[in-house]
Amino acid sequence: MFSVLKFKPIQMMHTGGGGGNACYTYPDAPATPGLTTADVVFDRSAHMNGSITMDDGRTVSMWGFNTGGGGMGGGGGPFPSPAMRVTEGQIVHTRLTAGMMNGTHTIHHHGIEPSTENDGVGHYSFDVNGTYTYQWKASHAGTYFYHCHTNTVLHAEMGMYGALIIDPPEGPGTLYSGGPTYDVEAVWACDEIDSSWHALSWTAGTCGGDAGLNDLNPDYFVITGVDGAQSALTDPGVAVTMNTGQRLLVRYICAGYLPQRIDFGGLTATLYMSDGRPLPNPIQVQSLEASSAERYDCIFQPGSPGIYEVTVEYLDWVSGETLGTARTRITVQ
Amino acid sequence: MKRRTFLQFGAVGAAGTLTGVGGLLSWTPRARAATVSAVYYITDGYVAQPDGLNVYFKGYSGSSSSLAVPGAPLIAQEGDTLQITIVNTLNSDHSFVIDGMVDSGVIGAGQVQTVSFIAGSPGSYLFYDALNAPYNRLAGLHGGIAVMPAGSSNELYPGSPTFVQQSIWVMTEIDPAWNDRVRRGLTPDTAFTPRYFTINGRSMRVPGSADYGNPDIDSGYHPGTRLTGSIGDRTLVRILNAGMATHSVHFHANHVEWLARNGEIRPDIWKKDSLMLPNNRGSLDVIYPFEPPPDAHPAVTTGHYPMHLHDEMTQTAGGGLYQFGIATTIAFE
Repeated sequence: MFSVLKFKPIQMMHTGGGGGNACYTYPDAPATPGLTTADVVFDRSAHMNGSITMDDGRTVSMWGFNTGGGGMGGGGGPFPSPAMRVTEGQIVHTRLTAGMMNGTHTIHHHGIEPSTENDGVGHYSFDVNGTYTYQWKASHAGTYFYHCHTNTVLHAEMGMYGALIIDPPEGPGTLYSGGPTYDVEAVWACDEIDSSWHALSWTAGTCGGDAGLNDLNPDYFVITGVDGAQSALTDPGVAVTMNTGQRLLVRYICAGYLPQRIDFGGLTATLYMSDGRPLPNPIQVQSLEASSAERYDCIFQPGSPGIYEVTVEYLDWVSGETLGTARTRITVQ
Repeated sequence: MKRRTFLQFGAVGAAGTLTGVGGLLSWTPRARAATVSAVYYITDGYVAQPDGLNVYFKGYSGSSSSLAVPGAPLIAQEGDTLQITIVNTLNSDHSFVIDGMVDSGVIGAGQVQTVSFIAGSPGSYLFYDALNAPYNRLAGLHGGIAVMPAGSSNELYPGSPTFVQQSIWVMTEIDPAWNDRVRRGLTPDTAFTPRYFTINGRSMRVPGSADYGNPDIDSGYHPGTRLTGSIGDRTLVRILNAGMATHSVHFHANHVEWLARNGEIRPDIWKKDSLMLPNNRGSLDVIYPFEPPPDAHPAVTTGHYPMHLHDEMTQTAGGGLYQFGIATTIAFE
């Protein structure tokens, strides 16, 4: 049977955040190979003391990234983490500060394809203990997201992610060069939360033992950090209000682990892009199924006023049954 | 069936049709159809999981004294006659099925049966035991078969984008409680709760762990699983899901060209970094292009990156041990 003594832990550290020993993490903060001057810099620091209040009144602890390089260990932070927005062709620095009280973390820019050192996967490079500058070039306009890739099963579930948008040189308002334009924009990062995981240490399970991380049983369903039970129907950061004739871009990010089905409430979208690449031929959709980390960019141009209720069903990965639903609205005036 | 006959069948196994444990799938096209023969022995045994637990499996194995999960992959070309001999060494009924191509029917305890059939449309298929469904399949009785277009060495289907090398990834989930019920001849009586996750029968290991780098155990180093290439070594990956759960397959460093899902050719080829892998014998066919990672700055042509599932529960073993699940390494050399 399993014995932790069989394995030589890479790292043993005592941490805050209820932390214990960590195994198979690779703490480091080397110099960035080929560091150059960036066109845009994002400073992020890991936090592990945020929270979200659900519609039933319960507060669930969340982790994430704050803007700025300081503030470790205090102040809490937003969920989801602050978005990054850059322009195609820019050299980007994402400067992550982690370690000490809040455990080691990384930033993987999901869908961005940089060098190994800048890909943010601990066991292929390192988990950041100190400050590391991820350097990458924004080569393809589109919708991405960034997330922690240390003990990912737990850290991403805890909310350590944020949107990442690359605009074409034309700037916001155009999806990609030569692609469609839009007047109104929404980012829907749809995620499920298993609150029973949210009291775990950042190291949970890494040295072995059963932390239950094979078995996700979500009890809350959110859209871009807002409870989809009720709040997302009207939250101004999620629900959309637009005028007839305007073009709405929805950047849909499947930010959870389970399959999802999003239904646009009777509206038809033109799907132009997925995973940061234009489709050879856009298609019309009334609903979409997505799996973890897929992104779909949908343009709506409603021809008449109305209130359209968008539903996101979160599906059991085995049975396909709906485990929960989040709702928001598109109001066309 | 007598032991002597077992050995005779073992000797009959035609060379070159089973690719064995080493290397990517190799194939030399022929101008004419041929007869492709193979022998599988249905055997059972135990395989140690990353946390040390020995779990019971049944497999389509290469000899009466070994256990292979999954069975060694088969490759043939459209129109070939496949002659597959199944030697059931166990005291239970089993079968050999490829949807749309062959169904052996019941192969009783100790029986030998040879099925002969024509290789159908080019594509990627699962062979599996359809009896006691889905339990026998989940207990390990499954494997992959590639059917090449007649006379072609570099296409998934006639006229498809071309590749220079190819691989089969058979993924599954393991609930040891289910496997143990199968061992005892009983029907599983608990909800399917997978605790181990394998690609080609192996789970990932990481630096510092006992079996890191062992090609027989570490899916990151198993030569039939790891993708190794230089720039331009376009690699067809045939991804088969023998398990019960829907997954999300995420590639780092390059987007893949998505050619087919569940054997259906996609009307357009989308470039994706994350793709839904349907459950219960679902499949994806993609080409990993081995292009320079587009967002690297400075540009790179070498590096090591993961392919992993993004439904991150699959990255665990025994409820913890993040990184010890369905993943492999993509090596740019």
